[in-house]
Amino acid sequence: MAKILLVEDNEMNRDMLSRRLTRKGHEVTIAVDGQQGIDMARDGAYDLILMDMSLPEVDGWEATRQLRADAKTENVPIIALTAHAMAGDREKALEAGCDDYDTKPIELDRLLAKMAALLEDES
Amino acid sequence: MSAKRSTQMTRPQRQRGLARRQAALLRLSTEIASAHDEAEVYQSVVNGLHDEALGYNFLGIFLLDEETGDRVLQASIGWPDIQDDWRVHPGEGLSERAIKDGKLHYTPDVRRESQYLPSLASGSEVDVPLRIDDRTIGVLVVESSEPNAFGADDFEILTAAANQASIAIGRARLLAEERQRADEHKALLDTISDLSSELELSRVLQAVLERAVTLLNVTGGEVAIFEEEKGELQVVASQNIGKDSTGTRLKLGEGAMGAVAVTHEPLIIPSYHEWLGRSTKYADVTVHSVMAAPLLIGRRLVGAIATVHSDPERVFGPEDLRLLNLFAPQAAIAVENARLYTEAQRQKQYFEDLVLNSPVAIVTLDLQHRIVSCNPGFEQLFGYEREDVIGEELDPLITTEATRKEAVAYTVEARDRPVRGMGRRRRKDGTPVDVEILAVPVIVDGERVSILALYHDITELLEARREAEAANSAKSHFLASMSHELRTPLNAIIGYSEMLQEEVQDLGHLELTDDLEKIRTAGRHLLSLINDILDLSKIEAGKMELHLESFDVRAMIEDVTTTARPLVEKNRNQLQVRTDPELGSMYSDLTKVRQMLLNLLSNASKFTEGGTIELTVERTSESNGPTMMSFSVSDTGIGMTPEQMDKLFEAFSQAEASTTSKYGGTGLGLAITRHFCEMMGGDVHVESGPGQGSTFTIELPVTAAKRTGATS
Repeated sequence: MAKILLVEDNEMNRDMLSRRLTRKGHEVTIAVDGQQGIDMARDGAYDLILMDMSLPEVDGWEATRQLRADAKTENVPIIALTAHAMAGDREKALEAGCDDYDTKPIELDRLLAKMAALLEDES
Repeated sequence: MSAKRSTQMTRPQRQRGLARRQAALLRLSTEIASAHDEAEVYQSVVNGLHDEALGYNFLGIFLLDEETGDRVLQASIGWPDIQDDWRVHPGEGLSERAIKDGKLHYTPDVRRESQYLPSLASGSEVDVPLRIDDRTIGVLVVESSEPNAFGADDFEILTAAANQASIAIGRARLLAEERQRADEHKALLDTISDLSSELELSRVLQAVLERAVTLLNVTGGEVAIFEEEKGELQVVASQNIGKDSTGTRLKLGEGAMGAVAVTHEPLIIPSYHEWLGRSTKYADVTVHSVMAAPLLIGRRLVGAIATVHSDPERVFGPEDLRLLNLFAPQAAIAVENARLYTEAQRQKQYFEDLVLNSPVAIVTLDLQHRIVSCNPGFEQLFGYEREDVIGEELDPLITTEATRKEAVAYTVEARDRPVRGMGRRRRKDGTPVDVEILAVPVIVDGERVSILALYHDITELLEARREAEAANSAKSHFLASMSHELRTPLNAIIGYSEMLQEEVQDLGHLELTDDLEKIRTAGRHLLSLINDILDLSKIEAGKMELHLESFDVRAMIEDVTTTARPLVEKNRNQLQVRTDPELGSMYSDLTKVRQMLLNLLSNASKFTEGGTIELTVERTSESNGPTMMSFSVSDTGIGMTPEQMDKLFEAFSQAEASTTSKYGGTGLGLAITRHFCEMMGGDVHVESGPGQGSTFTIELPVTAAKRTGATS
């Protein structure tokens, strides 16, 4: 049971993932773009952020950098979600400050394992 | 000498006027000795004896014609009605006696002699033979209108005169012979120098033949050249043999020329029509006798020559053979020179035509880079007229400020070695032209003499290439964006079907699980297709990058086999993994190595049923190469024919179209695998046979070097 912020602009992805995570017992809050994601992360205390990388306006990399630069959010674990292995996506995500990385389409068990690992570290 | 000897012949003075006679004899001797030829000798003898002081008024010199026995008059005085060339036949005239016995005969009274031929001076006659080397060649006849007019003094004077005349005649004959030889040599010299200066083969051969006909004084003849590759003679010049034989081909041994070509010896055929060796090709010639000789250079046959007499009276003798033997080697050299020259001309013509008609611009420069010659291709490419550019420096004509330096560098380098390159040049009207350049030094006898430069217009080629590259890049971009756009809805399909599966399980609607699984599987398959297409388009666009990291090989293998096991077991196959105990770590692109291994295991599973799939991993180390990691996937499946293996690593080529429908898959996996292997400095290869299973082996350097993803 953890408080999760899901930053995702695609409505279906958002709906699907939030429902599946909820069913697994997590409390999922949604932000629909990068700026909203940053604002909400600062205001609320989340255990973990799932960040889509290709977002309009402020993209996932930029949002991650800003969150890492902010004392309030610098330690919140962030998992980058990207489309299939675009060249350098993984490196770019880790460089920007993400803790882990997963590709879409989401394989739920794999994602849950990665989340669990980070949440365990946290506690 | 003769003059001196005659002075020594001084005798006691028994007669008045002796001194005058001596003086006259001296003059006679001098005249005879200084005669240039036989005719002058005869004339000086009769003139000298006719001298007032000697007083012989009727006299003549005859030569013996050995064939007929006639005495032929050469010169005379006092016989006004008689011509030179008057012939006195055997049995006529008193002088025959001297001819026969070689002695002086005196007839005091000619009228008593029956053989006497009447003349103006029908008194007495002295006949003195002319002898050379104990052979009588003629007779000196001196007459007087008085009987008993001659005495011992006269015999002495006339004998001396005849002797001197004989010596002079002998000398004149030698001289004439020498002159004839000198003429022959001159004719030969003329032949050599003329023929050497004439190089056109047909004219040389005609000239050779004409010379031979003149020199040998024959009716006509022919010349043939030897064509070594065919082993045949071909008649190339023909004169006056009753037909034009030019073009006739003779095998070795055929006819007179064919015969001498084999024997390498001259041949005289006295009666051609009776000769058994004659060629049927010469059945209709009007030839009586033939003399033929090979044309040789050393022992090498270059041709043959034949000369003919059509007059049955004329025969070839040793003298003719001697002349032909002198002539033939010169003719052979002339023929060979002309043949070589003709060959050289032909090659020159060939290259000139090539240069003239080549669409490539060809220009020759001197060592100061000035244009010596250029071809129409040059005029056409650069728009200059030939006359405008000869003598001008090339590079300023066809470059702009921007390309001048580069162009001059090419030209300078081309003085020493061949240079190739590509560049942009400018036409006379200033428009640019893309050219491929080849420049080479022209070296004659080790000395640089000029530079040959070739310009090939590749504007269209480059344009086509740019277009192709642009089209290719557009295609890759299209594929990449399409793949991305396709994936978004696909993610939803896969995600929702998985979510629904979870929900129907929770809700107990198990009858829907199978259908949802089919949707999910189809979606996953479509996704892997799209991913593969995206990978390939990235590879082709050169945008595929390696993300190198260190990873533990055993952990990676365990991860891969865990993922692949359900796939393997689906077709009732067993998966066996064999690894070296110490695999250690790799520095490579983990994602791509995993992708490749999963691809191979997935392929093996698809094409094998109820068999064994074996993954073998070994760390190999060659003495001279980098340490490699070898991954082999063997199956006991259907295997492949060599033809199928040929195309295996090309995109979209499963062995047959039908296999796709039966076994599924994109047909792109192995193409991607090959590209990935190449990017990582490794290799993939396969061993297989129909029904014998397949073994795919990937070998990768343990430490990958970063390379670009661009492949051809």
